[in-house]
Amino acid sequence: MRNGFLTGMLMFASISSISAQKEDSVMTGTLDEVVVRSSYKRTCSLNTVQHVDVLEKTFFREHFTGNLTQTLGHIPGVHSMDIGAGFSKPMIRGMGFSRISVIENGIKQEGQQWGADHGLEMDAFGVGRVTVRKGPSSLLYGSDAMGGAIEITQIPPPSENQWLGEVDLLGKSVNGTLGASLMVGCKKGGWFSKFRFSEQHFGDYHVPTDTVVYLTQRLPIEGEKLKNTAGLERDASWYVDYRKGRYQANVAVSDAYQKVGFFSGAHGIPDAAQLKDDGNSRDIDLPYSTVNHLKLTAHQQYGWGRTFGYLDLGFQNNHREEWSLFHTHYGTQTPPETNPNKELEFSLNTFSSSLKIRNFSHDNWEHTSGCDFQYQENEIGGYSFLLPEYDRLMCGLLWLSTWKPTSKLSFSGGIRYDHGRLNIAAYQDIYLAAYLSGQGYGGDVLESYRWRSYAVERDFGDFSGSLGCVWNPVASTLFKMNVGRSFRLPGANELASNGMHHGTFRHEQGNASLATEQGWQLDISYTYECNGLYFMLTPFGSWFSNYIYLKPTGEWSILPHTGQIYRYTEAQVTFVGLEMEFSVNFLRHFTYKVDGEYVRSRNLDEHIPLPFSPPASMCNSVAWQKKYFRIYAEWQGVMAQHEESRNEESTPGYNLWNMGATFNIPISKTELELTLSAQNILDNRYYNHLSFYRKMEIPEPGRNFQLLIKVPFKIKKK
Amino acid sequence: MKTSLKILNLCLLAVSFYAFSSCDDDKNDGDVTKPIINLEEPAEGDTLKIGAGIHFEMELSDDEMLKSYKVDIHSNFDGHVHSESLKVASGTVDFTYNHSWDVSGKKNTHIHHHEIVIPVDATPGKYHLMVYCTDEAGNESYIARNVVLSTEVEDDHDE
Repeated sequence: MRNGFLTGMLMFASISSISAQKEDSVMTGTLDEVVVRSSYKRTCSLNTVQHVDVLEKTFFREHFTGNLTQTLGHIPGVHSMDIGAGFSKPMIRGMGFSRISVIENGIKQEGQQWGADHGLEMDAFGVGRVTVRKGPSSLLYGSDAMGGAIEITQIPPPSENQWLGEVDLLGKSVNGTLGASLMVGCKKGGWFSKFRFSEQHFGDYHVPTDTVVYLTQRLPIEGEKLKNTAGLERDASWYVDYRKGRYQANVAVSDAYQKVGFFSGAHGIPDAAQLKDDGNSRDIDLPYSTVNHLKLTAHQQYGWGRTFGYLDLGFQNNHREEWSLFHTHYGTQTPPETNPNKELEFSLNTFSSSLKIRNFSHDNWEHTSGCDFQYQENEIGGYSFLLPEYDRLMCGLLWLSTWKPTSKLSFSGGIRYDHGRLNIAAYQDIYLAAYLSGQGYGGDVLESYRWRSYAVERDFGDFSGSLGCVWNPVASTLFKMNVGRSFRLPGANELASNGMHHGTFRHEQGNASLATEQGWQLDISYTYECNGLYFMLTPFGSWFSNYIYLKPTGEWSILPHTGQIYRYTEAQVTFVGLEMEFSVNFLRHFTYKVDGEYVRSRNLDEHIPLPFSPPASMCNSVAWQKKYFRIYAEWQGVMAQHEESRNEESTPGYNLWNMGATFNIPISKTELELTLSAQNILDNRYYNHLSFYRKMEIPEPGRNFQLLIKVPFKIKKK
Repeated sequence: MKTSLKILNLCLLAVSFYAFSSCDDDKNDGDVTKPIINLEEPAEGDTLKIGAGIHFEMELSDDEMLKSYKVDIHSNFDGHVHSESLKVASGTVDFTYNHSWDVSGKKNTHIHHHEIVIPVDATPGKYHLMVYCTDEAGNESYIARNVVLSTEVEDDHDE
């Protein structure tokens, strides 16, 4: 049943909070938490026709990296596309960018979908509960969730009046990360409020190599540290929850700020001179990027009889700047008087709202209807150009129904219509025009190059739908099947861009006549869980009639420093793959777990794979646990990726060995939670096929030791 | 119930096997192999004479069919910082060059010419010389060379 969407989540969150109320969520030992967690997980799983992964405390504790996306990359089928240690964006089943939606507190997070070098801006310390939905989710979240959705929700407030809080400390050896987070909360009567502040500082990260080869030139990596990859992150958030009778409301305000340096080689052709060690591995030099994400969300719900209403409102501002020493290829351009080194500035305002009504009037039926609305507009600045100014209006109407003929079987289906209007402003590069006319170009050629963005005004409308069933013949077995249709609106860059992308060094060209991307997907999920044995298998296949990708055209660009023109083009595409997971408890205290994933994409028009196809991988782990102590060893095997698209490198396979231990030390009235872990113990040199740095032959970070200390505290009130 | 479970398991196995086996059916028949550029002249760090034609010599090859190659030359006066303030105000002009040649219909070719002429008013200094080559399918390779443009250079190339 499709009611696993946000409102449903909140319902179940409140149900599971009732079961959690017997124990105290902060003080409870590991065993009690498992009980609470599996019941939430199970409720969530039973009520969703797609396979969902529900992640909570234990998972986050063992896989914490200070970066939420990298943590999520440990789930089979989910990958993290990284730009060094700072920015990461999620990828699900081979789809990333604007094909994945991240939803926090019911509002879609903006900011990670624009391009290869933009990450997900979120405080990893403050994440309570994450539900990962693999496969088409545009029925629930609209256009951009066609490849999957990551839902971040709050842990329900404690039941008793109290002050509570926690202090987290994080240290990492690979880039000298020092991080800390403080949370203070108060529960009194119907009110619950919490405040969190987190800060992380990190230096240049260690790579197990002393040279990289870029543009056929060997560049030195002095001290095995990737110069200027240092950065900092500062996040603050405030959350207030009020509940009385059948009324519930919450308001959240958060701000996430990041300043991260780019490896000098990532921008322009690097010179060996630029890569000289400046003696300080923690300074952030040019080029660097700053990102600020401010978000306000408000949620309200009320129940009348067997009907519930939910209203969500949100406002977000994404402000991104890239600073790089003034440079131009066109002699007539002079540095701006103010902020001469500000290369790019992008500020996006997004207003969102969502209204949903759920009704349980008939015994076996449940209906949900709703409408979503989103408006966004942006402003740009800087001496260079990346994305045009645009505004976008989206409205969606949806209807979902669930029918439960028996307690063991349920069917869910839904339909949604979205309408979008995109209005993109033209942008003319006068310096480029002057340069080209100086080179003797004129007429049509000049006209086609001087516009970095074309004016495009388009209206799009499309349906999403899905039909699926959940069958739970016996308590141990769960079978799900779902067929879904999803769509996505082309983005501003796909429709209107024209010119060199400053990060990829390609002349990228939009196509104003692109249609909405449409796809069908079939999902099957089977899980078996009984007496410490767990097995899961989730095969899937999808077909897209017009998947949009950047196609090399074979036409030379006349822009300096570029090869051929890459144009956004539609193609028929299929994806097939599966994830599997198996775990077994043995000898009382041991657990063995293996999970694996495989996805294969095919561009049926060109008979080649799509770019950025994740390689097949497998992870084996053995853990030993006794009371408050747990130790684990992990072997991660990633196969070579020879499924490369045109002008993409194949990437060799690799093996990683990780280890870790978690233990809780009771101190007075609380418990100190310690997590010590080591990643890439053998300091292997390997490449991530999905990394932005892959094409520069920059390996992934080397050996890392990490210590995470969490001190929860609580003072009961009368 | 037991039987239906067994059937279910069998169905699942069948589906997953199908998913795997169907992958092997559609083999990669699209060309993803890049052409190979073997640029002999100019070599890395070469000094090129202003006012003369560049001695340009290379081998191109592709497993299927070559299409075209392009030469791009632009200044690199201060570690790729092309700012106005650095321009020499002595009546010289930053040399920029962007030209492509058709080599379609061939799998291998040897290129040798002196067509790229550096004008006499070109600003001396550090430059980047880049060669791009594409094949019929759109596979592209490139090579970058650091070169120096100078008025004082002995033409030591034997033609």
